[in-house]
Amino acid sequence: MRLLSATWADMRFQLKHGFYLVYVIITITYLIVLSFLPENIFSVTLPLVVFSDPSVLGLFFIGGIILLEKGQGVLMVLVVSPLRSQEYILAKVISLTIISVLAALAITFFGQYPTVNWLLIIISTIITSAIFTLLGIIINAGCNTVNQYMLKTIPYMLLFLLPCLSLVGFPYSWLFTIFPSVAALKLMLGAYHGIYWVEATALTAYLLGFCYLLLRLTVKIFEKEIVFQD
Amino acid sequence: MIQIILFKNDIKQIVRDPIMALLLVAPVLLISVFKILEVFLIPFLATNTGFDITPYNAYILSFVLLINSGMLGIVTGFMMLDERDGNIAQLLEITPLGRSGYLLNRLLFASLLSIIYCFLSFGVFNLVDVPLLAIIFISILASNYTGIIGLLIYSGADDKVKGLTFAKGLNSLVLFAFTDLFSLTWLTILSWFFPPYWITLIIKSPNSPVLYGAALLVHIIWLGLLIFRYGRRES
Repeated sequence: MRLLSATWADMRFQLKHGFYLVYVIITITYLIVLSFLPENIFSVTLPLVVFSDPSVLGLFFIGGIILLEKGQGVLMVLVVSPLRSQEYILAKVISLTIISVLAALAITFFGQYPTVNWLLIIISTIITSAIFTLLGIIINAGCNTVNQYMLKTIPYMLLFLLPCLSLVGFPYSWLFTIFPSVAALKLMLGAYHGIYWVEATALTAYLLGFCYLLLRLTVKIFEKEIVFQD
Repeated sequence: MIQIILFKNDIKQIVRDPIMALLLVAPVLLISVFKILEVFLIPFLATNTGFDITPYNAYILSFVLLINSGMLGIVTGFMMLDERDGNIAQLLEITPLGRSGYLLNRLLFASLLSIIYCFLSFGVFNLVDVPLLAIIFISILASNYTGIIGLLIYSGADDKVKGLTFAKGLNSLVLFAFTDLFSLTWLTILSWFFPPYWITLIIKSPNSPVLYGAALLVHIIWLGLLIFRYGRRES
C-alpha cells in the first residue's frame, strides 16, 4: 500500500514536471525521423531508438529528482516516515518505468514495425529502465549539482553502452552478453527481429537476477551515502 | 574590469573543480566519439546495407555542432539554476556586476567555448567544404545557440527537475536541422523560426548573404526575447 501511494505520488510529480508531455514531443520527433528512413535502416534503428532513449530515461531524470528532493528535505523526512528506503527507490523505478514502457510502445506502434513481440518489448523495456534508474541512484551518491551528476554518468554510460557494439558480431563477441546492457539490447532486438524462447528466458532470468542484486546495492548506497550523509 | 575579474574567477573555479573542467572537456569527448563513428560506422553501413551517407555530410556536421553547443548551453543553464537555488545569483546581482553583468558573464563564457568547439568540429570532421568566413559566421551562430539553450533552461525551469525536462525536450530542436530531408512543407515553414534549421542551411549553402541575414535575425530575435524575459522574471 505504501509502495502504491509513493508510486502514485511520484507519477503525479512527474506529470506536473512535464515528463509525460516531453515524451509525447520526443516520441513525435522520433516518429517523424523514423518515417523517412529506408526500410533496411528502419528495422535496425527503431529497436535502437527504443533502447537508447525511452529505456534509459530513468538515468537522465533520477539525478535531478533526488537532488531536488534532497534540497527540499524530503530525504530527511524519509528517515522518520514509515516508507522504507527500498519502497522509496522502487516507487521511483516503477513510476519512471511506466513512462519508458508507454514511450516504447508508442514509438513501436506508431512506427508501424511489421513484426513485433509486444510482451518481449514490455519485459525488455521494464528491465532496462529499472537497471538504468537504479544505476542513476548509485551515481547520484556524492553529487551536489545536476552538472556533477551528468558528468558522472558519462563513464558509466560508456561502460554500459560501448559493449553493445559487440552485437555487430566478431569472434567470441557472445562473451559480452555478461554485460547487462548487452543482454538487455539482445532481448530488445529479439522482440523486433525474433529470438528463440530459450534464449529470451535465459536473458530475462539473468537480467532479473542482476536487477535484484543492483536493487540491494542501490538501497545500501542510498541509505549510506545519500540519506544519512544528508 | 569587474567582468574580467569574474571571468578570471570562473576560470579558477573551473581549474580547481575537476568536475567542471571535465564537463567543459566533454564536447571533445563527444567530437571524438562522433569521429570514431565516422571512421568505423560509415564504412560498416556502406558494406552491410549499401547505405551511402555522403549526401548527408552537411547534416552530420550540423548535428555535431548543435549537440556540442546545446550541451554547453545545458551546462550553463544548470549552473545558473544551481546559483539561483544557492542564492549566489542574487548575491552577485547586488555587487557592481549587476544582473546584466552576471548574465553576460555566464553566457559569454559558454559561448566562447562554443566558438572554440565549433572550429574544432570543422577541423576534425572534414566532411563539407566550407569557406573560413562561413565557419566564423556559423561559430557565432553556434555560440548564440548556446546562449539560447542556457536561457531557455534557466528561464523556463523553476527547479532542477523541470530543467532536466526542458533539456530533454530541447534536444528535439535538433530535428529542425534535418527538415530539408523530410520534404514536408509545414515542417520546413515551422523550421524557419528555429535556429538549428539555419545552421544546416548555411553549411549547405555557405555563399548566400540572404541566408546569413535570415539566420542572424532568427538567432538575435530568440536571444533578445529570452534576455528580455530573463530581465522581467528577475525583476
